[in-house]
Amino acid sequence: MDGRLVDHPILKFERGKEVTIYFNGKPIKAYEGETVAAALYAAGVRIFSRSFRWHRPRGFFCAIGKCSACMMEVDGIPNVRTCKVYVRDGMQVRTQTGYPNAEKDIFALADKLIDRFYPHGSHYTKFTNPLIRDFVLSQLRKMTGFGKPPKAVYEGKAKHEEISCDILVVGGGPAGMSAAINAGKYGAKVLLVDENPFLGGQLVKQTHRFFGSAKHKAGTRGIRIAKILEEELQKIPNVMVLKETKVFGIYNGGKEVGAVQKDKLLRIKPKKIIIATGAYERTLVFENNDLPGVYGAGGVQTLMNVYGIYPGTRGLIVGSGNVGLILSYQLMQAGVKVAAVVEAMPRIGGYFVHAAKIRRLGIPIYVRHTVLRALGKNKVEGAVIAELDEKWNPIKGSEKKIDCDFICVAVGLSPAHELLYQAGCKMKFVPELGGLVPLRTIYNETSVTGIYAAGDVAGIEEATAAIMSGRIASIHATVALGYGGEEAKKELEEAVKDLQEFRAGPFGEKIVSGIAKCMLSS
Amino acid sequence: MKVAVIGGGISGLGVAYFLAKLGAEVEVFEQKYLLYGASGRNSGGITAQFMDKELIEMALRTMKLYEKLQSEIKFNFLLRKGGYLKLSDNPRELEKEVEYQKSAGLKVKFLSPEDVKEIFPDINTNAFKAASYFKDGAVIFPWPVIWGLAKGCRELGVKIYDWTPAEVVSETEVKVKNEVKKYDVIVNAAGAWSAEINNKLGIKNDLRVVKEEICVTESLRPYIDPYIIHSNGLYLSQSMRGEIVGGIVGKAGEKSLDSSLDFLVKYAKLATKLVPKLRGLSILRQWSGVYDETKNGKPNFGFTGKVFQLNGFGKNGMSLALAYAEKASKEIMKS
Ligand SMILES: Cc1cc2nc3c(=O)[nH]c(=O)nc-3n(C[C@H](O)[C@H](O)[C@H](O)COP(=O)(O)OP(=O)(O)OC[C@H]3O[C@@H](n4cnc5c(N)ncnc54)[C@H](O)[C@@H]3O)c2cc1C
Ligand SMILES: Cc1cc2nc3c(=O)[nH]c(=O)nc-3n(C[C@H](O)[C@H](O)[C@H](O)COP(=O)(O)OP(=O)(O)OC[C@H]3O[C@@H](n4cnc5c(N)ncnc54)[C@H](O)[C@@H]3O)c2cc1C
Ligand code: FES
Repeated sequence: MDGRLVDHPILKFERGKEVTIYFNGKPIKAYEGETVAAALYAAGVRIFSRSFRWHRPRGFFCAIGKCSACMMEVDGIPNVRTCKVYVRDGMQVRTQTGYPNAEKDIFALADKLIDRFYPHGSHYTKFTNPLIRDFVLSQLRKMTGFGKPPKAVYEGKAKHEEISCDILVVGGGPAGMSAAINAGKYGAKVLLVDENPFLGGQLVKQTHRFFGSAKHKAGTRGIRIAKILEEELQKIPNVMVLKETKVFGIYNGGKEVGAVQKDKLLRIKPKKIIIATGAYERTLVFENNDLPGVYGAGGVQTLMNVYGIYPGTRGLIVGSGNVGLILSYQLMQAGVKVAAVVEAMPRIGGYFVHAAKIRRLGIPIYVRHTVLRALGKNKVEGAVIAELDEKWNPIKGSEKKIDCDFICVAVGLSPAHELLYQAGCKMKFVPELGGLVPLRTIYNETSVTGIYAAGDVAGIEEATAAIMSGRIASIHATVALGYGGEEAKKELEEAVKDLQEFRAGPFGEKIVSGIAKCMLSS
Repeated sequence: MKVAVIGGGISGLGVAYFLAKLGAEVEVFEQKYLLYGASGRNSGGITAQFMDKELIEMALRTMKLYEKLQSEIKFNFLLRKGGYLKLSDNPRELEKEVEYQKSAGLKVKFLSPEDVKEIFPDINTNAFKAASYFKDGAVIFPWPVIWGLAKGCRELGVKIYDWTPAEVVSETEVKVKNEVKKYDVIVNAAGAWSAEINNKLGIKNDLRVVKEEICVTESLRPYIDPYIIHSNGLYLSQSMRGEIVGGIVGKAGEKSLDSSLDFLVKYAKLATKLVPKLRGLSILRQWSGVYDETKNGKPNFGFTGKVFQLNGFGKNGMSLALAYAEKASKEIMKS
């Protein structure tokens, strides 16, 4: 079966030339421009690797190079994240965990037996007899490790480049793009980097018309907003954009930043840094939540809206926030059935308009319900949901079996805070903002002078707020560097007021109280 | 005998364990968490290739003690005997070293680069001129060493206080959380912080602090058996999980735990020169640690008044500290 979407009411998928790649020796059809993982998924491959210890199946999951479930050996190079590399004709792709391969792993038996004989941690506490200890150690060593040691010297030319700039913006979502535009227009030398091959961040996956006021691009589809911002960026010559460039470390109080662009190491020397790395999806604890076919909303959206591949035929959506609701709608739009939406809270989390749309399509929304377990051996073949009582415990006898072949967990986002934390910014856990966030001034400067946070990384909000906070951070940094004069200072105060007004409505209440908990005086 | 041990690293927990076995009443103070010090941040290379008879003996004793304690405490330290390789650009000096160690009874071999290739085929024989190989050398996972020692200590009634900075106010008094406690003996096992304690008490010492940076790569099937260290400062080995753990021997100077980009670049260059097939491998984590070293390379050991010095282990604490801790426990009980 070919799992590729052909007709879509909004998106057009332009596929490249047909090529053949080999998966554990088996030929598989693919199109240029597709990632290896997407091509394998479209061909029906569901097991991409095995877990380290229990040999449980691991499948396509995050689609953005974060989870490591898709690591394989590609043309002899071990540990390649196949969701990040594009197909090439004749490519040899092999799974690297499990024997003889990840799909038919005989060690999968370990999953059933290992806990009985060898519970977690027993490599420290069992086998204390010296002879047995040495034997077990030597055997253990044979079982561990992911990829095979490389057989040849990697040919990539490792390069090394130093770049200086006034302002480094990390992340090319709406917050980052807006930051780059607003610093660039006052003449600052800006470097904008994003790890993806495209700009737009979360917007790229949003095919729906955005919510918000007309002044702030509401009514425009997310993907379109990304394009508009990118066009604006391209008009500013002093903004340099580097795609497929991942920042991995901030050193020396922000004076030096490490990034990788494919084979190149970049040593960036910025005067100011704006972190706009967005957010990660949260996950949920339930039985079998690691089965291939349990996804976050992002994974499903990437598969469907970026690569044009069906995630499955019938999905269960967990979480009725805007993301869950919009995703349900997007799935139906692409011709994928949605079995149900479950929500643990007593009422629907997202906006009424989105929920109404879902209901009109006949999708049941179960509030005060949760998913208890995923069914299936090697991939999702169903799910069991149950009603919750006042204390959030499942009510006995209320279990319902849901017929589905994938489960999408959309229970919110957490700020992608690592870089801020690593840079030494003071952080605080603020539930209203989605998790660990930096303390900041009203200009979004963190406790480390010269390092700013903007967008979802400073608190989970939405695209409009992200754009506005990027603007504030960058103009403040620009003014601090001596650019823009009085005009910039005036715009800065306006920008701060704009955002305050935007958050003044009932939807902003939670955010405002969250921000109050992590304010630094400026 | 009531003893306070300052520092929850291998030397502090080690001496606490041996003291408790001899019947002492012991309290261990750790300013942060166990593993915060060098003992939680090192590369776990275990060797006896030293240029001093005492150090060689103590290293061999430490290796025996690892074996013994694993069984005694019923905890595995994941000690893997894959050999220890010292590579050098100066064959003459290394040969002398090997001769000395042989005369001290150590089973070491002087190898040519070609010989080394038989032990580890992926090594670049042009990247060094000679090697000294200690077959009984090993790699240990430092974390279970500390967890295990802590378990052993607790089972013997030792009190371990973490997140408890201790201020030594006199040779027999320790101030903890605004309370001054009295002891018969205080053991200064504070690693890189030992000099501060001594300076405060006016105890002379030549300790200096060294910061060392280190990193791990993603995991590969284990295939590098020995711990490898080069005279240019580079060292690497492969953990039980398959990660390549490696660093560059540190320099005396700042006492900070910051990591640097300079280190990553330098390490990548040196490591891929020595093992070219490591090119293209991703580094997953980097960190740094601090330790204290003396001028003559031997630990700062013994009584200074009522304070027992058990520090200055430098680059080799994992190879030496247990035997010195055992010896210290005997001397303290005799006092
Ligand atoms: C399903 C869904 C529906 C939504 N609907 C709406 C809506 O209707 N209206 C609305 O206003 N908002 C909506 N949003 C929210 C909106 O998309 C986000 O709030 C917004 O995209 C956040 O922008 P950002 O720039 O902070 O982060 P992101 O858009 O997440 O961008 C962050 C970027 O940083 C990059 N990055 C991260 N780490 C690094 C690194 N170390 N190095 C280099 N690059 C890095 C990432 O690859 C990414 O491109 C929706 C979100 C979702 C998921
Ligand atoms: C990167 C690196 C690699 C290394 N590689 C090796 C190797 O391969 N082989 C080898 O043999 N050795 C190696 N070493 C050296 C080895 O780690 C050290 O010699 C050894 O861990 C020292 O142990 P310690 O107990 O003396 O000190 P530490 O482990 O540093 O313990 C001292 C403890 O005292 C605590 N402390 C300090 N002051 C106070 C106070 N006032 N109150 C309470 N607590 C206090 C500290 O927080 C610390 O936890 C390496 C070290 C580093 C940093
Ligand atoms: S890293 Fe590729 S699917 Fe997550």
